[in-house]
Amino acid sequence: MTLLKISNLQLSMKSYEGETPILHGIDLTIKRGEVWGMVGETGSGKSLTGLSISRLIPTPPGRYLAGSIEFQGIDVLKATDREMRALRGRHLGMIFQDPTTNLNPAFRIGTQLVDVALHAGHADPSVLGLSPGASRRQFKDAARQTAIDMLGKVGIPNASERINDYPHQFSGGMRQRVLIAMAMIGKPDLLIADEPTTALDVSVQAQVLRLIHELVAERNIGVLLITHNLGVVAQICTHVAVMYCGRILEAGAVHDVLKRPSHSYTRALLDSVPTVHTKRGELRGLGDLQPEALA
Amino acid sequence: MTVQHPLTIPARSQSARMENWSRAFYRFRQSWLSMIGLAIVILLIVAALLAPYIVPYPEHVGGVTNTAARFQPPSADAWFGTNELGQDIFSLVLVGSQVSLFSGLAVVFIAVVVGTAIGAIAGYVGGWADETLMRVTDLFLTIPSLILAMAVAAALGTGVFNMIVAISVTWWPAYARLVRGEVIGKKEEQFVVAARALGAGPLRILCRHILPNIVSPVVVKASLDMGFAILTVASLGFVGIGVKPPTPEWGTLLSTARSYMPDYWWTAVAPGMAIFLAVFAFNLLGDGLRDILDPKARR
Amino acid sequence: MLYFILRRLVLVVPILIGLTLLLFVVARLLPGDPVGLAAGPNASAETIAQLRQEFGFDQPLPIQYWTYVTGLLQGDWGTSVFTRRPVFEDILTYLPATLELVFAALLLAVVIGIPLGLLTAVYRNGALDYATRTLALGGIAMPRFFLGLLLQLAFAAWLGWLPLSGRYPFIEMPPETITGFYTIDSLLAGDFYALRVAIAHLVLPAFAMALSPLATIMRMMRASTIEVLQQDYVMTERALGLSNRLILFKYVLKNAMTSTLTVIGLYVSWLLGGTVLVETVFDWPGLGLYASQAILTQDFMPVIGVTLVIAIIYLITMLVVDLLYGVFNPKVRYA
Repeated sequence: MTLLKISNLQLSMKSYEGETPILHGIDLTIKRGEVWGMVGETGSGKSLTGLSISRLIPTPPGRYLAGSIEFQGIDVLKATDREMRALRGRHLGMIFQDPTTNLNPAFRIGTQLVDVALHAGHADPSVLGLSPGASRRQFKDAARQTAIDMLGKVGIPNASERINDYPHQFSGGMRQRVLIAMAMIGKPDLLIADEPTTALDVSVQAQVLRLIHELVAERNIGVLLITHNLGVVAQICTHVAVMYCGRILEAGAVHDVLKRPSHSYTRALLDSVPTVHTKRGELRGLGDLQPEALA
Repeated sequence: MTVQHPLTIPARSQSARMENWSRAFYRFRQSWLSMIGLAIVILLIVAALLAPYIVPYPEHVGGVTNTAARFQPPSADAWFGTNELGQDIFSLVLVGSQVSLFSGLAVVFIAVVVGTAIGAIAGYVGGWADETLMRVTDLFLTIPSLILAMAVAAALGTGVFNMIVAISVTWWPAYARLVRGEVIGKKEEQFVVAARALGAGPLRILCRHILPNIVSPVVVKASLDMGFAILTVASLGFVGIGVKPPTPEWGTLLSTARSYMPDYWWTAVAPGMAIFLAVFAFNLLGDGLRDILDPKARR
Repeated sequence: MLYFILRRLVLVVPILIGLTLLLFVVARLLPGDPVGLAAGPNASAETIAQLRQEFGFDQPLPIQYWTYVTGLLQGDWGTSVFTRRPVFEDILTYLPATLELVFAALLLAVVIGIPLGLLTAVYRNGALDYATRTLALGGIAMPRFFLGLLLQLAFAAWLGWLPLSGRYPFIEMPPETITGFYTIDSLLAGDFYALRVAIAHLVLPAFAMALSPLATIMRMMRASTIEVLQQDYVMTERALGLSNRLILFKYVLKNAMTSTLTVIGLYVSWLLGGTVLVETVFDWPGLGLYASQAILTQDFMPVIGVTLVIAIIYLITMLVVDLLYGVFNPKVRYA
């Protein structure tokens, strides 16, 4: 079942120097159960593609020149703000890179989780296991219980007590788990994770990835995992899209692309990953690739 | 990578410090609000300097009355009307700018000198001297400044000089705090350590190396304070402590006008607007200076 | 927490001792002859000497100070040379009027300034933003006493909507004193006519006092809101579907409050210290008028008393602000 279909998405950004095209026609289709990795360098447009799906790029300065994003039959770029809000949190979950800055420091994590759960619950009471006619009180209690369950599920011990703690009382890895809980609490159909492990210790990275992988498998949802780490892609993705300068150069099943890359850029990207066999001083960069040559 | 350029350092037409200042002035000109402030301030200063020569009725400023023409509403003859003594309010307000601007400037100047001295000693010497000086400073900061200034001014008696002293007494602690903090921050910097290593004495280090480097925040605070100093001068005049007639002063003019208020409103509007305009202009100027000299505090 | 409050309260004691000493020294060092003023120009040398003895001015300074401080602790704040009444009683009479005015002004400034700051931050560089920012720049520069006069002119003299001055009509009885705040007292008495009259008298002076803090609070709030809106967690909250209203008035507001809180705290003492200006304009029977009366007659026991009261309120405010920091920023720990 197709969840998301991006066709020919073109985005430009205005700045003091004028309007710069950022995305040059992105095409991407994500089905349920697929875990898409989106790899590319900083500035290649990966994050902006992810934000576009939730329509979180302010316009202006952004401007969509052409193309469409269809999510579960809704044209995201033409939807009203109300429709978009109903999608966010409930059908679209998002996780961002830095767990230290993505939780509101002035509020207990419980407050933040409960608000997201309530929002999703109002869009669809079944998320909280309620019928549409439930009372405010029931909503509140169910949201809190769901928040505690979710915290337990992402591996926070003592969830019913720690829900009353503030973000600064958690470690970085634990905070990312809280953020994953927040993104997953509305039972979304598509999870967009923008570099969810980049800011974490290597030892914690694997745990967080495993957690995302488990949740995805359990709920059979679609995932767009934005990263510049090919190792991560190889570990948990079923599909991969390689982005460069606002274009998708190559996309497909992960073993096809990584084993038999058809594009020279993908090959260069793969070669730049150091292995045990890489000799000292032989770290390879990508060199000066000309965007025009790739068009 | 084709042509090897010979490595040269471009000759500078200005010293680094001059270049900083001219760059700052360029940024200042970009903000039209700051430019308006600067324009009004210059206008006010020129008006204050020339006031005795350009006012339409110089004799009124000296105390000459003309009771036949009391409470004339604004007209072509008397732009802002006349007061209870038949004096031209425009003349009074224009000459009144002398007291306000001069006292404001004097208050800020004294506060900067005294505050910098105390703050620099406290910050540089540290320890026991710092403790004592800062405790006294804190005490002054807990006292409501207007009341203290009123009390001192009343005890010293009327007159511009006494009023300036009275306000300055309440004004220096803020500078002492500011300078102390800046001096402590700079004391540990490399260039001070280097100067000390070269054998420079404490007075030289303080005056030649530290103080020139903390000019910006002090200038910014002083320019922002100018407006409030003018406001305080006018406040003292308004509550009846300060300059006494016949010397025209905006606050005193406003205080007198209050007694004739609803009916002869123009007697109040001109001096009130003058205070507002002066404070407004200095605030705009100060805001502009802060933006260019103290980018950290930019808000 | 309790330990923190207690320690701070204990620290107030040396500050107050230092303050009384400082004020006493300043008062005695200054020239001026309160007794001569109080006795009148025709008083004989004998009368003056008698008065000096009555008020203890013939004693050496340290003994005068000691008498004063021990008196303070027993609730004897000295006697006003001019009104011949105990200073403490005078202050108790005038303080509620001033506090009511200051709190009303602060309430106006906070209730209007904070939402305006939030909204102008959200709609920054729009028409509302430019209009309020320009007004705010003007509001900060506006002298309270001149604004008071203009308000009187417009709303009392010309439009006739509100009373010109005073706290309550002379010919009527104010509500029975419980707190000394006419608005609260009339509410407690259930007297809605008195409440309306009290508020009508309060509006203009409160607004005259409030404009400058309102403008500053708005600017502060705008700046810190803009900063908070750029934080990552706001993006997360938006991405997970929380409504703009919830994000702004719950999640952003609390974060943006911290720096604004300091400004609000500082304004309490600014308002108290400058209350004399507005009280003069509106004939408001408060501490400011009392103090300026005392200052003009160089009657320094009341001046010291008023200054002490304001300093104490200032110190309490600072403590409250520090405690509120903890409410708005959970990382703050009281040690």
